[in-house]
Amino acid sequence: MPSVTVAGVTLPLRPGETILAGLHRAGYAYRIGCRRGGCGVCAAEVTSGEIAYAGPIAERALPPVTDPAAPPCLTCRAVPVTDVVIRLADGARFRCVAPMLAELAGATPRTDEQGEP
Amino acid sequence: MGVMRLGYVHARVTDLEEAKSHYADTLGMRIVHAEDDRLHLKAWDEYDHHSVVLEEGGVGLVKLGYKVQKPEDLSEFERRAQAFGCITERMSKGDNLAVGDGVRIVLPSDHVIELYNEIEVVGTETGTVNPNPFPRHLVGVGVPRIDHALITAEDPGLIERFFAEVLDFGTSERVVTDLDDGEVIGTWMFCGNTPHDIAVIKGPNAKLHHFAFYLNDWNDILRAGDLFAMDDVSVDIGPTRHGITRGTTIYFFDPAGNRNEVFSGGYITYPDFPTINWTTDQLAKGIFYISRELNERFTTVVT
Repeated sequence: MPSVTVAGVTLPLRPGETILAGLHRAGYAYRIGCRRGGCGVCAAEVTSGEIAYAGPIAERALPPVTDPAAPPCLTCRAVPVTDVVIRLADGARFRCVAPMLAELAGATPRTDEQGEP
Repeated sequence: MGVMRLGYVHARVTDLEEAKSHYADTLGMRIVHAEDDRLHLKAWDEYDHHSVVLEEGGVGLVKLGYKVQKPEDLSEFERRAQAFGCITERMSKGDNLAVGDGVRIVLPSDHVIELYNEIEVVGTETGTVNPNPFPRHLVGVGVPRIDHALITAEDPGLIERFFAEVLDFGTSERVVTDLDDGEVIGTWMFCGNTPHDIAVIKGPNAKLHHFAFYLNDWNDILRAGDLFAMDDVSVDIGPTRHGITRGTTIYFFDPAGNRNEVFSGGYITYPDFPTINWTTDQLAKGIFYISRELNERFTTVVT
């Protein structure tokens, strides 16, 4: 299954799992809003790979494209279709709140430049 | 003359089927009228045709409808709104399903409100002859009625002036930067006897923070929370209590990301109600009385 890499952490996702659902399952937290594709608070740039959406999103919730090579996505509804690397917004405060869950989920820290935020 | 209540909230949703499940099955509203791209719903203790209109496509607020007491109130409020500097237009019977002639006003914050007097009356679900206290067939939360809306505006003080001077609303509570002539950061206003029929907090113009449904008591709030967990509703915060309005609450999101609230409690207001002031250093206590801690999501997510 596809994996997501964010801020130096790579996590294998389950079939159909959104990026947010996977990261929550693995004990990670970051700044999120409505979780329903409507507000844009959980947006991230996809610096590598492809995503699809598990449900509708409001187009106006997507932040403007600042880097055509890294289009924005809403992580609450984005499901990777290939391995993806994402970059969360400044101030997203990505952190592990349950290391035990990270270990169970097989989340592995990465140190190469691709995984850096 | 006067504005009686918040009559309807018209909002956009990204997926009408998901919205239908949320408002009808989880919240327990009844679908009064369904079209391909929109739904009209009412809650069981409301007697007017509808209180929520959901339109497919996007997210956020289209407009708020406020019902006035007498037909002749419309022209007076129209005159005052124009004198205040607002753009107004007349709406005709049929522009809104089941709603009569009215006046549409664009607020200085770019929100649209509609004043109307006539709307088809369909009755409550318990009737007006020897009624039972509630209908037996309710599903989900079984909300009895909508209660209020909270919108965001760059200048809440200006919108407070509009509702006070044009529509004769009273101010129940206010958050100010300074008790002596400070800036208004938030305002809670009433036209009936509840703590608020509209509230405005500082934020981007034309946006919705939430609209709320009334519940009878704290036990019903907890039960609603249980149902939100069962139905995987995205919860923002709660159950907890507000300092402002004293209400008990859960904030949650509909499937498009519009924030809803279930609200209970509060107090009675009259036109001579003395306005309660909160200072910004106590804002967290005013919003979430128990934790006295603001949640970033609550203060920043609007649709």
